[in-house]
Amino acid sequence: MARREAAWRVTARELESSLEEEKGTGERAASYLLSPFGARMNRVLVAGTLLPAEPIGRDEAQAFWRARLNDPTGAVAITAGSFQPRAMAQLRAATHPRSALVVGKVHLYRDRSGVGYVSVRAEGLRSVSENEERAALAEIVRQTLDRLDLVERIEKGAAPSEAEARSEGIPLGWIAAARESLRRYPGVDRAAFRRELRSAVRRVAGETQPVPSAGPPSPSVTVTRAPPPRPPPPPPTAAERDEESVFLDLLDEVSEVSADGYADLKELLTRVAERGLVADRAEATLNRLEEEGVVEEPIVGKLRRA
Amino acid sequence: MPPAAPSAPPTEIRLKDLGISAAPIEFVARIVTVERREVTRRSDGSRRPLLSGLVSDGTATVRFTWWDPPRDGIERGTVLRVVGAEVREFRGRPELTFSWRTRIAPASAVEMPVLDPAQLPRRTVRELTPPDEGFQIEVRVVRIGPRTVTVGEERRVVHDGLVADATGAIALSSWSDFGLAEGEAIRIVGGYVRGFRGRPQLVLDERSTVARIEGHDLPSPGAWLTAAPTPIARIEDDGGGAALTAEGLVVGLLPPSGLVYRCPTCHRSVKSGLCRIHGEVNGQPDLRARIVLDDGTGALTVNAGRADTERLWGVTLDECRARLREQPDPSLLEEQLLHALLGRRLRVRGSGSKDDFGVTVAPDSIEPVDVDLEAAAAELAPRLGGGS
Repeated sequence: MARREAAWRVTARELESSLEEEKGTGERAASYLLSPFGARMNRVLVAGTLLPAEPIGRDEAQAFWRARLNDPTGAVAITAGSFQPRAMAQLRAATHPRSALVVGKVHLYRDRSGVGYVSVRAEGLRSVSENEERAALAEIVRQTLDRLDLVERIEKGAAPSEAEARSEGIPLGWIAAARESLRRYPGVDRAAFRRELRSAVRRVAGETQPVPSAGPPSPSVTVTRAPPPRPPPPPPTAAERDEESVFLDLLDEVSEVSADGYADLKELLTRVAERGLVADRAEATLNRLEEEGVVEEPIVGKLRRA
Repeated sequence: MPPAAPSAPPTEIRLKDLGISAAPIEFVARIVTVERREVTRRSDGSRRPLLSGLVSDGTATVRFTWWDPPRDGIERGTVLRVVGAEVREFRGRPELTFSWRTRIAPASAVEMPVLDPAQLPRRTVRELTPPDEGFQIEVRVVRIGPRTVTVGEERRVVHDGLVADATGAIALSSWSDFGLAEGEAIRIVGGYVRGFRGRPQLVLDERSTVARIEGHDLPSPGAWLTAAPTPIARIEDDGGGAALTAEGLVVGLLPPSGLVYRCPTCHRSVKSGLCRIHGEVNGQPDLRARIVLDDGTGALTVNAGRADTERLWGVTLDECRARLREQPDPSLLEEQLLHALLGRRLRVRGSGSKDDFGVTVAPDSIEPVDVDLEAAAAELAPRLGGGS
């Protein structure tokens, strides 16, 4: 049985920081956006100041609107299309910034350079009073802190048992999500994020005004964040360098005698095997050479020097 | 199954100890339900009568099939001594077959195994799952009331309610009148558990006994009505509950919500002027809201009736109908209702059952919740860690 996905209570800051996805497999499987702070989100609930929406795209039959929601920690894009007619009507209705609650599905888009853009496709959206917005923000911050506590507890190796989770009211799904956060985002400064929630608590206490309509300076409605840098691959060992030179010598030999100037992959692998390089070593060497840009495979099964 | 060696004397057993074995068995049990049928033999087309139903000796209830039974005299309540029945397994549970090799004689109730309450295992509410029986349990009566039901052609009074111990609450259905009253602490011996609408239900009948006890360690009846909310994820894991409390925000409505039409006879909703049972009917207007309540850990559906819907929405059924006359589009009403409820914080108490679409709650009460913002901020601030 498929459960209805819970609406994770998250701040804009947490959404901005979430760049890891878990794609569902199989028919109608849900996909999840993983945050560094213990959320495994399909549906979310956010609260803040919603700015007037702007239409995206020129096709009137495929209307699509986007607005920016500011909360004290950051900003996130709220979208609605013709498949969410009610939410879209609500999104379009506003002509000035107002407090709002939004329930919707998270969406991660990566452009060609790998920069991620998180948005929320609204399913439900309502203008609320300032007090309602603050109450929702209080719940968002409380649950965010609960998740952070859980992540830190697991990081220390003190993961709650099933019985402990039950008596403390920790959902089992949160434990799995926290573990996945730790796995996908090693070395994230969670204490810094915890301190960043201070601005949200001030807002709950009524010490600050709604987030100004101008919002923090940002060139676009969407928030751009680079993916976490991958650690550079370890430098090749001397043995690997030897294998590479054997591989390249044979590549040159094979391509010189071929009619089209390319080295046939099968033939090359046979020759490489004759020189004592077993299949998986040869494969690894080829991958490394391709990654380094020394060798390319412009036609499937045909290699040449790049 | 090969015929048992005639030399082996049958051993008398309790039904709870019934296992798959070639050894002939003997037991004394009472018929709980029985139904007479005939099956047609494939070989020559002749009809062969059989009785099937449930027998119980107080330790367990087991399905039986009795081939070529006597023409009459076997009914609900008959006590039988059965020698040489066959035991088979069906879907992991033992079943009895009485064939020509089985000797069956009427027996008296005094021959039934004597259930010494002290010997029966003590259970807690949380441990009860269908088809448990042969246990004792101490509970507090939270709620109890008579209800008349039709069983076949017979009208009977059943006493429905809710009982609880420190581990949880369970629905109670008593087919005998034990004179139960709200707030009483009782020890039940000889009840059994069945699944009813996806939830376990504790059933008492004329074989059960009820004793009044002090019950100092049992929760007060009011405790269940003031309990703090449970995370919805846990309610989902538990598959609902007889007495649950949940709190969350309204994140949506499920159809049909808003103005609906119901069959005047059975109150089922009417689609295209047709009741599922009574055919073409003149549907009576009603208000309802199927609220999706979400607390961040999970979501459940709350089926709010007319009174709750009117109160939460602030619009009455009559006003709805007036609006409909002005704007003849019922989906507008649903949208207005959604807009009035979306994002509202509600606390719900009631009973919940689980199906393929998740947990659905039949509410006893739905109350809007106000958040104390200053208290919330004061509670959150110390959790932010040091530094600025």
